[in-house]
Amino acid sequence: MAEQVAAGVPLLSVRDLHVQFPTERGTVNAVNGVSFDLYEGKTLAIVGESGSGKSVTAKTLMNLLPRTARVSGEVTYDGKDVRALAAEKVKHFFGVQMTMVFQDPMTSLNPVKKVGEQIAETLRYHLGRSRGDALEEAEELLNVVGIPEPGRRVSQYPHELSGGLRQRVVIAMALACQPRLLIADEPTTAVDVTVQKHLLDLLDELRRDRGMSMILITHDLGVAHGRADDVAVMYAGRVVETADARTLFFDMRHPYTEALLRSIPRIDDPVHHRLDPIPGRPPELVDPPDACAFAPRCIYAQADCLGGVPELSGLVGLHRFACLHPTGTERGMAAMSANRAAGVTAAGLPVAGSGGGSG
Amino acid sequence: MAGTGHAQLRDRDDVLLRVKDLVVQFPAGRKRVVHAVSAVTFDVVEGETLGIVGESGCGKSTVARAIIRLVDITGGEVLYEGRDLAGLEGEELRRVRPRLQMIFQDPISSLNPRRRVRDVIAEGLAVWGDDIGSWSRDRIDELMDAVGVEARYGARRPHEFSGGQCQRIGIARALALDPKVLICDEPVSALDVSIQAQILNLLQDMKRRYGLTVLFISHDLSVVKNVSDRIVVMYLGKVCEIGSTAEIYSHPAHPYTRALLASIPEPAPTVDVSEGDIGDELPSATDPPSGCRFHTRCPRATGICSEVEPVSEQVGGADHYVACHHPVPVEISAR
Repeated sequence: MAEQVAAGVPLLSVRDLHVQFPTERGTVNAVNGVSFDLYEGKTLAIVGESGSGKSVTAKTLMNLLPRTARVSGEVTYDGKDVRALAAEKVKHFFGVQMTMVFQDPMTSLNPVKKVGEQIAETLRYHLGRSRGDALEEAEELLNVVGIPEPGRRVSQYPHELSGGLRQRVVIAMALACQPRLLIADEPTTAVDVTVQKHLLDLLDELRRDRGMSMILITHDLGVAHGRADDVAVMYAGRVVETADARTLFFDMRHPYTEALLRSIPRIDDPVHHRLDPIPGRPPELVDPPDACAFAPRCIYAQADCLGGVPELSGLVGLHRFACLHPTGTERGMAAMSANRAAGVTAAGLPVAGSGGGSG
Repeated sequence: MAGTGHAQLRDRDDVLLRVKDLVVQFPAGRKRVVHAVSAVTFDVVEGETLGIVGESGCGKSTVARAIIRLVDITGGEVLYEGRDLAGLEGEELRRVRPRLQMIFQDPISSLNPRRRVRDVIAEGLAVWGDDIGSWSRDRIDELMDAVGVEARYGARRPHEFSGGQCQRIGIARALALDPKVLICDEPVSALDVSIQAQILNLLQDMKRRYGLTVLFISHDLSVVKNVSDRIVVMYLGKVCEIGSTAEIYSHPAHPYTRALLASIPEPAPTVDVSEGDIGDELPSATDPPSGCRFHTRCPRATGICSEVEPVSEQVGGADHYVACHHPVPVEISAR
């Protein structure tokens, strides 16, 4: 795969990751050749819709896939191949060096165990603390994640806490062993906006204070924009565009990124602003055609888009995109004009003669 | 408010739906009650889209459900074309219900999985056929066509469609009875972002085509702004602020509205991001705070806020009402 741009050694390096699930309907190609680097202290947001492969990528990194999954590719953490770690090491690697926070805190917490005990359990198992020390540390951790009255909260059960506080407990648990990498999979999707802001602020602060790296999996472009250094956009199991957050949101090249941003209502749009939806729907991941997966929904699509899967251009770490007729380039403009003139794209999608615009 | 008051009611001939002092309480065991909706007042004029926003537990969905009597009304009035729906029972209630139809958040579970989608859409017509006039396969085909589901798929069952397609079918089912009012409870929250815009545009098209009045409930402030003519902001069973969409978003006066606008990932330019720093503990609806229900989290709260419940008053000169002892002056917020 592509070489990396020299900038020190990344903490986490993923190369050509593939994940397949055999199902009754055929093999589902959930992740198809994902590569990225994550440096110490940085946040990478992986953005995509359901079925894009973003959560499967996260679960693969955390070694949480079912046994039936077929995985290939390289995952290197701190120079070591994670997938080749010995069973003994694995036990104290995941959950220690690399930890994960899930969408729904209720599914990560044991409903019949006090939250303090649950945090202490992590400390006792991984770090061998005594019960008393672990409980004390648990209380301290609740304080770190901004839970008021930690002394009272340690002996409460998850159901006694609000959704926001539960998610803070899960974050405290993830932090217990001082991880260097935190993977947050839709950490704020199940909570309200005012709580979401607090949780994202908290994660930001912890990352800064502890020099932690973070992978933020989200479907919310606003969250990715505000909270990430780098963003990778996934579609049908592939990264279709990746860049620093500013470039990705203001100078994107992939038509999917552009279309996605254009389809969401924004707070500063005028009232009753007509939205620009993406036509059609995401593709099936069983037996994908050998073509750009976005082509059937893309207003730039040309004949060559249907002739093979476009490679992600350029070097890992730079602005990369997998498109033959990128938006905001001459090739893209030419493709758009040709489609407008024809009234239809090469993939058969009708295109209006005017409207839309270049990226 | 989070308070009471009727200042926001409009004295117009085209008011289609008027909700006045609506109260909904649920028993919570041991003689306690959940105060889900407490003295909520607003009206909707014909052809308008009214957005109701607020966080979970604010009572926005309960208001919607109470209007079409999916939950029992504890007190207050729901006047539809001047008739109080709260008092209707049996046959009378049955007769008015086709006029108010609802679409739900989870598009797949709101359709009967065992029935063909054509029958799902036709069910209301089959029940009401005699009263509403003849219906036919053509009518179903027309509805499916209108919502963008190919009529030739009518014999398929809901699980064979995507979430977005199921929401389209849910909309067709609601439209089949030719309603006047369409109540949308978080209609796009469960859908992928690329599909949300399709459904929002479809709702606008259907509104125009069938002359609907829409009640649109959502927690997403950007979505609500996009679709609504007027907006109600709710907190813990009470109304905080009501006004035209342009007013609410350009001059938010209630500290809670401002906190919401400051908390979204790309905050509204009319507020300061620091205003989003309200505590994240929502008080219990079984034992709501005294006075203004928002006072426990409000950055502007003073002594009076915990003692006296604010009454809604007009702010500025426009269609804008706020129930707060210390609203943010509209001039300042317009900076």
